[in-house]
Amino acid sequence: MEYIVETKKITKRFGKEYAVEALDLKIPKGEIYGFLGPNGAGKTTTIRMLLGLMRPTLGTIQIFGKDLKRERIEVLKKVGSLVENPSYYPHLTAYENLEALRKIYGISKKRIDEVLEIVSLLDVANKKVKGFSLGMKQRLGIAASLLNSPELLILDEPTNGLDPSGIIEIRNLIKSLSVEEGMTILISSHLLSEIDQIANNVGIISKGKLIFQDSIDVMRKQSQNKISFKVDDCEKVWRFLISSGIKADFSEDTISMLEQNDENVATVVRLLVENGFSIYRVEEEKRSLEDTFLQMTAEERVI
Amino acid sequence: MIGKLIRTDFMKIRRKGIWFLAILGPFGVVALQMVNYGLRKDWFIQQDTFSWFYYVRNVSAFTPFALILGIVILASFMASIENETNAWKQLIALPVSKWSVYLSKYTTIGLLLVFATCLLTVFSLGFGVLLGLGGEIPYLDLIRYCFYPLFAALPILGLQLWIALVFQNQGFPITIGVFGVIMSYMAYFLPDWLIWKWPSLDNQWDEPLLNVCMGLVVGLGIYLFGMLDFIRRDVK
Ligand SMILES: Nc1ncnc2c1ncn2[C@@H]1O[C@H](COP(=O)(O)OP(=O)(O)O)[C@@H](O)[C@H]1O
Ligand SMILES: [Mg+2]
Repeated sequence: MEYIVETKKITKRFGKEYAVEALDLKIPKGEIYGFLGPNGAGKTTTIRMLLGLMRPTLGTIQIFGKDLKRERIEVLKKVGSLVENPSYYPHLTAYENLEALRKIYGISKKRIDEVLEIVSLLDVANKKVKGFSLGMKQRLGIAASLLNSPELLILDEPTNGLDPSGIIEIRNLIKSLSVEEGMTILISSHLLSEIDQIANNVGIISKGKLIFQDSIDVMRKQSQNKISFKVDDCEKVWRFLISSGIKADFSEDTISMLEQNDENVATVVRLLVENGFSIYRVEEEKRSLEDTFLQMTAEERVI
Repeated sequence: MIGKLIRTDFMKIRRKGIWFLAILGPFGVVALQMVNYGLRKDWFIQQDTFSWFYYVRNVSAFTPFALILGIVILASFMASIENETNAWKQLIALPVSKWSVYLSKYTTIGLLLVFATCLLTVFSLGFGVLLGLGGEIPYLDLIRYCFYPLFAALPILGLQLWIALVFQNQGFPITIGVFGVIMSYMAYFLPDWLIWKWPSLDNQWDEPLLNVCMGLVVGLGIYLFGMLDFIRRDVK
């Protein structure tokens, strides 16, 4: 697979505290990568390092296959970003704010109108940003991040402080950028629900460490409901089930299977009874994606 | 690249009263002479000092004061424009080198000061002519006494810009700046090695050009130091 972003053991230390520790981020080309983690987990710090705003204490970053440290300017030409709260010059108009960035990119003025159109700010283009609502400022920030038609878009909690309709708007925008422009997008959030709805890849960071990184389908699979059987001799039962062509896992004193329909469960029970195994309990274990996320980040917290 | 950055820096100071300040400064310096000559014209004539030579030196007595105050305000102002919504993270994430961002801020302030100094020259000349000072107009002397302080003040510009960009809160840079303004007021009593004395063009050898050379050399040194420190720092 081709990775647009690939970090090797990037670490950031502030004084004695490790804000980010040995992160190996892999963001596949053309995907929406959800960077998920509770507040203070190190998402923004990681993103700052990806943009060359902060120097990693250790580790290397490759973006578009180029070493960020050595080719920072070349890389940043094709990256758009919005880090934490949007930055803007309040005494300038929306148009002037973008013009200040456009001059540096050296792209055509037409692009300003295009991005203002995309975030529906065209009709307030000549108003000072001072008077904008938080949602409008956020949209201006997104417009700024799109100005250079980036190949990699990095959005740090872009829906923070937005109302539900604003959140949906941005979600749809991100999806269409991915589908229509083939942009690779890194979006961070502390809310699983947000990532769940748009991302196809997930990285979960907790206390500065990456504790999960894979496609969201893999995470979903881990989150499926399970049926567990308490039986007298787990290993024997497990061998028997496998030999009968039934997929199952066993641990200590339970046999577990991914969610099955009622008929299948009944079949398994019948098989076991008929073959003389004692079944003590049959239980259903419900797990949502949210549970999996909470469990992952909670485990880390205990350590 | 640096040209583009300077143009955006000039965009960012729109509607902030900076140009007004750059006009007010030199006007203030000449206005003080309007008062001075308005009240004491007869006395100057009596003392036989009603001439271009003394007029040019009278004007330049207040130039360091206005100049240093201007530098302090401009440096902190340039920093606060980016600090206000932490636009540094947007600016530095652009495909620009950090040294050019720093150089652009320095140059922008420098150009504003050159603009103000040109006005000072024109205003001084204008009022001098209006006063009907005797003798031929000493253009070179006039230009010298307007521009020499600017070069001699470059170390102060380097220092103020550096601390303004390092400290998020402008309280400390302004305090140092005001301290410098007060120092410049007592320039005559200061030792020659203090940078706040230099814009007064005063030194024990009576050679203004020495202050200019020192200003350029030490100014470059402080500029490089500040820039390297700026490059080294993380952007929040
Ligand atoms: N400039 C800094 N100096 C010291 N500590 C910092 C700095 N920036 C972030 N941190 C610390 O690093 C940790 C991670 O912060 P951050 O990356 O902002 O988390 P997130 O974006 O996931 O909420 C936090 O404990 C925070 O206090
Ligand atoms: Mg954050």
